[in-house]
Amino acid sequence: MKRLLSLALSATMVISLFTGCTKQEQAPATSTSGDSDVIKIGVFEPLTGENGGGGLQELDGIKYANKMYPEVLGKKVELVVVDNKSDKGEATTAVTRLIEKEGVVAIIGSYGSGVSIAAGDIIKNAKIPAMGASCTNPMVTQGNDFYFRACFLDPFQGEVMANYAIQQGAKTAAVIMQNGDDYSVGLGNFFINSFKKLTGNDASVVDISEFQVNDTDFNAILTNIKAKNPDVIFAPSSATTAPLIIKQARALGITCPIMGGDTWENPAVVEVAGADAEGIVLSTFFDENDPATEEAKSFVEGYKKELAGKEPIIPAVAALGYDAYILMLDAIERAGSTDGVAIRDALNATKDFEGVTGVINFTPEGDADKNIAVIKTVKGGQFVYIDSVEVK
Amino acid sequence: MMNKIENKNNKTKRYAANILLAAVFIVVITLIDQNLIGDQYIKRVLNLSAIYAIVAVSMNLVNGFTGLFSLGQAGFMAIGAYTVAVFTVPINYRASIFYIVPQNQVLAQIHLPFFIALILGGLAAALVALLIGIPVLRLKSDYLAIATLGFSEIIRIVFTNLKTITNGALGIKSIPGVSTWVIFIVAILSIVLIALLINSTYGRAFKAIREDEIAAEAMGINLFKHKVMSFAIGAFFAGIGGGLFAALLGTVDPKQFYFTMTYNFLLMIVLGGMGSITGTIISSFIVTFGLEFLRFFDEPLAMFGYNITFFRAGFRMVIFSILLMILVLFFRKGLLGQKELSWKLISNIFKGKNSNKKSNKGGAA
Repeated sequence: MKRLLSLALSATMVISLFTGCTKQEQAPATSTSGDSDVIKIGVFEPLTGENGGGGLQELDGIKYANKMYPEVLGKKVELVVVDNKSDKGEATTAVTRLIEKEGVVAIIGSYGSGVSIAAGDIIKNAKIPAMGASCTNPMVTQGNDFYFRACFLDPFQGEVMANYAIQQGAKTAAVIMQNGDDYSVGLGNFFINSFKKLTGNDASVVDISEFQVNDTDFNAILTNIKAKNPDVIFAPSSATTAPLIIKQARALGITCPIMGGDTWENPAVVEVAGADAEGIVLSTFFDENDPATEEAKSFVEGYKKELAGKEPIIPAVAALGYDAYILMLDAIERAGSTDGVAIRDALNATKDFEGVTGVINFTPEGDADKNIAVIKTVKGGQFVYIDSVEVK
Repeated sequence: MMNKIENKNNKTKRYAANILLAAVFIVVITLIDQNLIGDQYIKRVLNLSAIYAIVAVSMNLVNGFTGLFSLGQAGFMAIGAYTVAVFTVPINYRASIFYIVPQNQVLAQIHLPFFIALILGGLAAALVALLIGIPVLRLKSDYLAIATLGFSEIIRIVFTNLKTITNGALGIKSIPGVSTWVIFIVAILSIVLIALLINSTYGRAFKAIREDEIAAEAMGINLFKHKVMSFAIGAFFAGIGGGLFAALLGTVDPKQFYFTMTYNFLLMIVLGGMGSITGTIISSFIVTFGLEFLRFFDEPLAMFGYNITFFRAGFRMVIFSILLMILVLFFRKGLLGQKELSWKLISNIFKGKNSNKKSNKGGAA
């Protein structure tokens, strides 16, 4: 009896494997059968795993954009979403699946630069244009003429914060980075470089410390920093770590401004840090209270309704996801075809495109050429706009 | 007399079947490699499965055949992957990859062919295994598991901090790729070598250690020497697997080699059978293909106009876990236990005979 059962079970497993293959083999037949009446755009995001939360926020923005602009070239746009599990191996198979099985004409994503870099070579070889929404590592688009992105990069954000700090009269700075996190290390290093360059003094960055993932006690680092008494602390870190650093710094009696990157624009930071969060400074992609373009105005209004109080502020990555989608759609429209190379050329030719996060042009490398970042602070438990910094 | 002839007959039949299978296999791989059948998707999943098979079999050598509960595989893979990454990236790309901290002056000038880098990666992993194995292999069971797990995390953190060599958290990209043929040849070679080792005197000593250390020692087996040997050889092939993995993905970063990666391989060997090479190979293909095949559970599904709420991102992992539980319930020792897949085993299953006898050579590749 047991043997029979086990045999039956293994048989079903084997059969299911085969049906899987045959089913997959049929798929391209339907998707590539001439010019069907849908245009497929692949969405490649981490929906589970380490970056699942951010990936979902970004996906919501893309879906909302799809709802607003459901058609291109007179055809319906169908989003095909695949999960890359925040895992590189999985990312490569997921992207190959989008290209081979689903026959997508373009790809949007992904949150997290590592998976985007892993997918980059496949995208390049298949000549399918891709638009990253929030992957900020320069290596994503480097040497890959099919990968574009709607956000600014780590170097830019680091520079912005250094500029802002100096505008505010800071002469010395301390930097805290998360060891092993490409986002944090990238931002931190570019801040250090620009700060040194702008002050013309190599000793102006008085302390550079790194902490490990999941560290919760920053007293050692902060005590050290306190002794050196910098004018400002720059601590690019995740939204879970940031409030801990802020709270512990204030508890130690450090009064100088604490600055971070776009990840800080998260209600969790204010919630956990409470009153200590007052006065922190961060740079971000857009400000919902001061829409930069017409597109932004309608987006903020519509998306607020769409969120229906699910989240108190519009996540910046949702806005970027939205931008990535409309940028891609605009390029397909201008290319007049779904040919990968034609879309790429159209993307390269993008000029002064009005997105939610500002007016977008592309650099030769394929990065959004934005020169303005929004600086926000926390006042009365709310994120408020204080300044826009322009970097030349 | 009759029996003997029948036996001989059977033997030639099996021999012929093996050759046929090998031929079919070679033809299929060639066709896939030349993009004549299948597509990039199948090819990629096959490549990934083959690489996972190498690492899983190498882990089985240590865990399943020698009975050492080691969880260091991700660390050894990282060593192999980084060796290939550092030495095979074209020299003119390097400056743009190491854009924050410049690469070590000496290393920046060295470029090695893929195979040399791959072997070097394996050797580096084996050397590190040797160094770590000498103190750590004095531990037993759970303690060994904890020590090796900690060690693999140490490797990851060391790689995160060796910025002039590994580019730290930013990772390395633009690693030249390899063809399906190369991956499969390396996979087959590695697995055959491990199989030969297991069927040698050393292999029998490994199994003796697994069954009973005291008895093995009483029989004159040098416990420590054999344990270190198994550990280092396992690490060598994990390093080779890691090198191929880096070349397949074209990029490495330390986050890839979290200890959770080791659990992936642990799953494969437990599923395939601790102490079965063919079982491990089958399960690495099942796990990799299974995860891809189950993707349709992630897509929204509308039935009779209703969206079924279960069908959303992450649901396939639930299904996958349920399938695993069912499998473990019915195959408590994994798919094959300590047996190897062979024609005899297959015919025995169909005849319903109790196949307790161990059969050695596997028929399937």
